[in-house]
Amino acid sequence: MATGKGDIELAGLYKRFGDVAAVDGVNLKIPDGAYCCFLGPSGCGKTTILRMIAGHEEPTGGEILIGGENVIGMPPVMRRTAMMFQSYALFPHLTVRDNVAFPLRVRGLDKADRYKTADAMLEKVRLTELADRLPGQLSGGQQQRVALARAVITEPRVLLLDEPLSALDEQLRIQMRTELRRMQRELGITFVHVTHTQLEAIALADLVVVMEHGKIKQAGRAREVYAEPRDRYVAEFLGGQNVLTGKVDRVNGTSLVLNATDAGDIVVPLAGQRSVSAGDRIDVAVRRDDIHLRRPGAGPVGPDWNAVNARILAIEYQGSFVKVMLDPIGECGFVVYMSEREFFEDPFDTGDVVLATWMAERSRLLA
Amino acid sequence: MSTSPVSLPSSVVRARRHVAEGVGPRRPWTFWVLAALFSAYVLALYGPMLCIYVLSLQDVRGGLVFPMKGLSLHWFIDLFTQVRTGDVKGGFERSIVLAVLVTVLTVVGSFMAGLAFRQRFKGDGVVFYLMIGSLVAPGLVLGIGVGLLFQYFGLQASWYTSALGAHLSWTLPFGVLVMFAVMSRFDRAWEEAARDVGASRWQIVWLVVVPILAPGLLAVALFGFTLSYDEFSRTLQTSGPLNTLPLEIWSMTLNVTSPSLYALGTVTTVASFVIIGACLGGIALIQKRRAARIAAD
Amino acid sequence: MTASTSTNTRGWLYVSPLVLVLIPFFVAPIIVVLVASFLEHDGFGGMLPHFTLANYVGIFTQELTWRLYLSTVKFAVLTWIGTLVIGFWIAYFLVFHVRNQLLAIGLFLLCTIPFWTSNIIRMISWIPLLGKNGLVNSVLLWTGIIHQPLEFLLFSDFAVVVAYVHQLTIFMIVPIFNAMARIDKRTVEAALDAGASRLEIMRYIIVPLSKNGIALGSIFVLSIVMGDFFVVKVMSGGGSASVVSALFEDIAVLQYPPAAASAVVLLVVVVVMISLILRTVDVRKEIAR
Repeated sequence: MATGKGDIELAGLYKRFGDVAAVDGVNLKIPDGAYCCFLGPSGCGKTTILRMIAGHEEPTGGEILIGGENVIGMPPVMRRTAMMFQSYALFPHLTVRDNVAFPLRVRGLDKADRYKTADAMLEKVRLTELADRLPGQLSGGQQQRVALARAVITEPRVLLLDEPLSALDEQLRIQMRTELRRMQRELGITFVHVTHTQLEAIALADLVVVMEHGKIKQAGRAREVYAEPRDRYVAEFLGGQNVLTGKVDRVNGTSLVLNATDAGDIVVPLAGQRSVSAGDRIDVAVRRDDIHLRRPGAGPVGPDWNAVNARILAIEYQGSFVKVMLDPIGECGFVVYMSEREFFEDPFDTGDVVLATWMAERSRLLA
Repeated sequence: MSTSPVSLPSSVVRARRHVAEGVGPRRPWTFWVLAALFSAYVLALYGPMLCIYVLSLQDVRGGLVFPMKGLSLHWFIDLFTQVRTGDVKGGFERSIVLAVLVTVLTVVGSFMAGLAFRQRFKGDGVVFYLMIGSLVAPGLVLGIGVGLLFQYFGLQASWYTSALGAHLSWTLPFGVLVMFAVMSRFDRAWEEAARDVGASRWQIVWLVVVPILAPGLLAVALFGFTLSYDEFSRTLQTSGPLNTLPLEIWSMTLNVTSPSLYALGTVTTVASFVIIGACLGGIALIQKRRAARIAAD
Repeated sequence: MTASTSTNTRGWLYVSPLVLVLIPFFVAPIIVVLVASFLEHDGFGGMLPHFTLANYVGIFTQELTWRLYLSTVKFAVLTWIGTLVIGFWIAYFLVFHVRNQLLAIGLFLLCTIPFWTSNIIRMISWIPLLGKNGLVNSVLLWTGIIHQPLEFLLFSDFAVVVAYVHQLTIFMIVPIFNAMARIDKRTVEAALDAGASRLEIMRYIIVPLSKNGIALGSIFVLSIVMGDFFVVKVMSGGGSASVVSALFEDIAVLQYPPAAASAVVLLVVVVVMISLILRTVDVRKEIAR
């Protein structure tokens, strides 16, 4: 049986179903003990990657290394991975205790031993009182804890979670999120978690992997992916950004001028790697909370600031902040997040004409 | 969103309320018409059967129609003792043994085929349509074929060889169709979860698949038993020299005109009800155990 | 979709018991019957290995054949209409009118239980009711509605259809009930919201969504009636015949080749009929849903 650490390496991983490449050449390293989230819309291949790491699906090509060892062809037990299924897949005919003890049962442990271990595990996930219930009698959150207990009872080095929170209601989801993170710290093993919810990924993960059409679009720390999206897809999928499209008017040294709106030019700093010249069509991202709204004629705008004239289309109160939707720029929606306090000092109304301003250096050129 | 107050006709409002609340105070007239139809159907379903049970309890003067003449078990004794009524006891025993054999083989075969048909494999369509063919083919035609086949190979047709096969060619497709319905509610993730924690193929089947499918398998067993126990047209040419119970009944309908016939009906129905009771009871027990709240709760 | 070799092997392994039954007890007998239908016979139960079309020519030139098919089709159609009308409304009643779900399931079981008992006995049980001195006639005479016992009740085409409908309605109820139970009640509410009348709901929602159940039930009912001879023989008192009952008479006098030819023709008719229904519904998907 394989031993060692739970670091995972995917090298040129490839999987086709019929004519469709579900996973199309994925390279990734997940460090031992990391909490990694695969993020993407349904059908982007994230679940297929998870199932290939688990050994429930064989890749068409490429390698999967766990602890430095190629695990392709090995059954799940030999890989020392454990999977938590989206529907939890609790055995409906077994009690909670028997469900948790099931992995020990198939390993041939006798009843007394496996119940002892299972009861200890149930205590850990605070399910002791429910040990004799059947899964059908548990709430969603309780079922999830049983599934977690069953998955980790064999001390795997990697836990794979397929949309583990999608079946829960909002409040429970946030509560279980914390629970998962706590379990991961306690167990000290690698967690690989698949989700389509941005908030879930950035709240939990050390490593966020954004996917589209079987390919990795960007992988990095949560803050990196959220604040510095590499391209339009990542920026729009993670949200919190306005993506503006336009033609480059001119390039001057360290910045370029984008001609995206009738309302004025936008200055964007040139980020290292990409070379642009006048006439190119480019995407630019600006965080929604970096934009300030001013009433027209409220004093001059600073020289390092971009300013765009716009009309307010709609206003949504969000509690801690206010979402103000402006006239779209080109085809792209343009949204501003204002802190609640700031907004209500001088509230705007739908239909007001405003000046949206942001520091030029806060614009980001996208790939 | 448009919120312009459109005034709905009152009948629509009433209907909406009725559907939304589930328990409207007024039932539509169709309810009473259909309730009457349903009652008539149930009466027609059970009424005639009850008549022959009652008529089978007449005494020696009894005839085939009402009114009842006396009350005794005369015709039951007559059924099992008279030569005239044929080998009822033997037929009964053979039919039970045959039905049990058919049941066991049907459950095993349907279960395996149910597993097979979950994914597509080369030629699955051929097997599927052969199965449908076997289900809809006229029983007597198949019976003739099996009879001729055995004759050709010089084999003696008998209830435990040719008739067994002929029964299976009918119960097995039926069982597989039932398994299709049962399997549609089976979540593959259960198997994967078991495999994930290290269960072997056998362990997955015995510890996970079979227990979860148990009610469905019992239903297949019930189908297998009753379809075989009652099978006539496929048996006629394949049972060989010894008769099964339906064949006995057939010959009785042709030459017995006493309440013995009804007595036989009562006996076989009682046997059927015992089997149905056992199976439905078994299914209910499993479901109940699964749904049961613990006493302390 | 391409299936891998191991999937194919496993698939065939799992269906092997089914195949091992179907080949000797369905495929082989059909082939034997087919072969026999082209052989000459000596009139004493023997078959001579000479190829002939005489058996088929005999079938298609006899007026009797057409009468038999006409009579069989008549029984099949009448039974189909009877079971469909009763089965549809019973299923509709249970799914859409009985508000307590537990009660609906209980009533459904009530309908299915007789299915598990002997069909033959259930058929015989009409005798004390429909006979000349039976319950129905007695009651009608007693109430003065009739003055002569009705003769057509038993041992008649009427009795045959009654017995068929009695036995086979359950084959309609179960699939239609299943199809209807799967109809999302919210679609009905949505239709009501849109102002549809109950008749329109029936026509545009319930009937189309029950179509597959109706097709499945029809397959069972038609194939059973087309293949039956027991009910025809007993309930008509020998007065009526069907294709299969004539077949049975042929076998009784050991006329195997003509019987085989007639069996082949019948088989073709049944298969064509069933395939026509199958074109409207994917049975495999329907059942597995």
